Amino acid sequence: MGPDKTAAKQCLLSADRFLKESRFQDARTEIEKAKKFDPSNVYVLAFLDRINYFEAQQKKEAQVSAAKAHPSPAPAAPSPQPHAATPPPHAAIPQPVKPIVPNVPKPAPATTEVPLASAPPPPVKPKEAPEPVAPARSEHRGVETTLEEMKRQIEMLTHSLEQEKKAREDMSKQQLQSTVLQLRTSMEKAWATGAPNEQEEEALHKLAISLSIPENVELSLRREVKLKMYSTAVKEVISKRQLLRSSSSTLEWLRKVYQVSMEEYLEYETKFLLDLVADQYKGTLLYVTPNVKTKDELIPRLKAAGYAVVLSGTPEEALEKIEKINPNIILCHTEFSPGSLSGVKFLHLLRASAKFNFIPFLLLCESPEVSQLKSSELRQHEGFLKKPVDVDELMIAMNEKLARFRDYVSSLS
Amino acid sequence: MSKKILLAEDDEDNRDLVSFVLQRSRLGAELIVAENGQEAVDKAFESIPNLILMDMQMPVMDGWTAIPILKGDKRTKHIPIIAFTAQAKPEDKVRTLEIGCAEHYSKPMDPEELIALIRKYLAD
Repeated sequence: MGPDKTAAKQCLLSADRFLKESRFQDARTEIEKAKKFDPSNVYVLAFLDRINYFEAQQKKEAQVSAAKAHPSPAPAAPSPQPHAATPPPHAAIPQPVKPIVPNVPKPAPATTEVPLASAPPPPVKPKEAPEPVAPARSEHRGVETTLEEMKRQIEMLTHSLEQEKKAREDMSKQQLQSTVLQLRTSMEKAWATGAPNEQEEEALHKLAISLSIPENVELSLRREVKLKMYSTAVKEVISKRQLLRSSSSTLEWLRKVYQVSMEEYLEYETKFLLDLVADQYKGTLLYVTPNVKTKDELIPRLKAAGYAVVLSGTPEEALEKIEKINPNIILCHTEFSPGSLSGVKFLHLLRASAKFNFIPFLLLCESPEVSQLKSSELRQHEGFLKKPVDVDELMIAMNEKLARFRDYVSSLS
Repeated sequence: MSKKILLAEDDEDNRDLVSFVLQRSRLGAELIVAENGQEAVDKAFESIPNLILMDMQMPVMDGWTAIPILKGDKRTKHIPIIAFTAQAKPEDKVRTLEIGCAEHYSKPMDPEELIALIRKYLAD
């Protein structure tokens, strides 16, 4: 609380004391002072209402006493105080209002760390000066004002609580981000030249604990850093591939150095491949083959030719991947294990999709299927090759289909 | 104390690649680099490495000249030298062994094979 607010609080306390002593004018003077010290203090107006109420109440009592001392000659005259018999609503209401001054919200511990204290209170509506109205009307007006004031206080407290909650959330988020960044930097340093040794791993784990980073976040970060550093190393070594005896054995060595599992490699394959062939990248090739797990000699040839090859074991799996990888060309075997779609069926499904029906598509088929495919109405960007596939023949066919695709795309513009 | 490997190689890309491989080998060896034979001889006398990887074709002084100098000096004659060359003819291999090389390694390199070779000579 600033010095002006403290002074305002002192004035309000003095006003409260004067009010109890029925020194209404002195109380008003203190309130005026408080208003000057802290114009935004919402209790000032509430206090003025209290003063008005008690002053009116005192005058009323004085009138009643005077009437008792000098009884009116006309007893049938209507009472000017129709509610005098019932306890004035203010009599009960000032109770919750009274502790307002001592309860002026103090900054919570968190507000010293976050800028809550600077949050402006809800705007106080300017009030009209109390009119010299009839006491009943004044009472009613007093009740309304007090209720309104209480409502405003509740709103203000709710607002402050919400702000504090948000500030706390922001703070913990920022703290987590900063600690995660700290751990990430240490991890990147440790993983720069490969998987860290046991002692380094232990030190990283201890650091994560000391930074209160949850274990799942730590593990996820470890995996992210590992794959990033592996990918960086792949890029670096591949830029010098002309000096290497074999790119594939070098990559296999790097996979061991960075402890990248085959599952992780396959999960990130497209990205890694794009890194590998970035300078000679011809496009993404979706290769649907039942021989995913066995050694397919076609794959390294396709990669060497500049394609980022994404493998699918079945047409169903290919349908799942196709949205994500958006291939430039598809190579697909015709026969798959029982229960799976055939390559031809897969082609028909893609033809039915407005999004994928123009992707160049080559079927790799057995001899007996050739005559059947020859007689079928393959479109210009579709084709087939007889197995065993001659790689040069395949490259020619792929280039031809891609050229037709480029012509088609150019015709659209 | 970490072991020292002296690499004499005039091609920057090759130097970078050997450095890249050694950093990831976890051998914990210190790499000293020389860009020609003369520099290799000077640095070998100065630092007495545990192993020397010597490219045979270099400017200023080639490996064919530098190796006999190193093998003729009592300070460095015990250091194993791996001839590091793109010349893969059998007679080149014989010649490198004749001038005192412990091994002949043909470029282009294979990281795992190179690490295994280095490890073998550092362990001796």
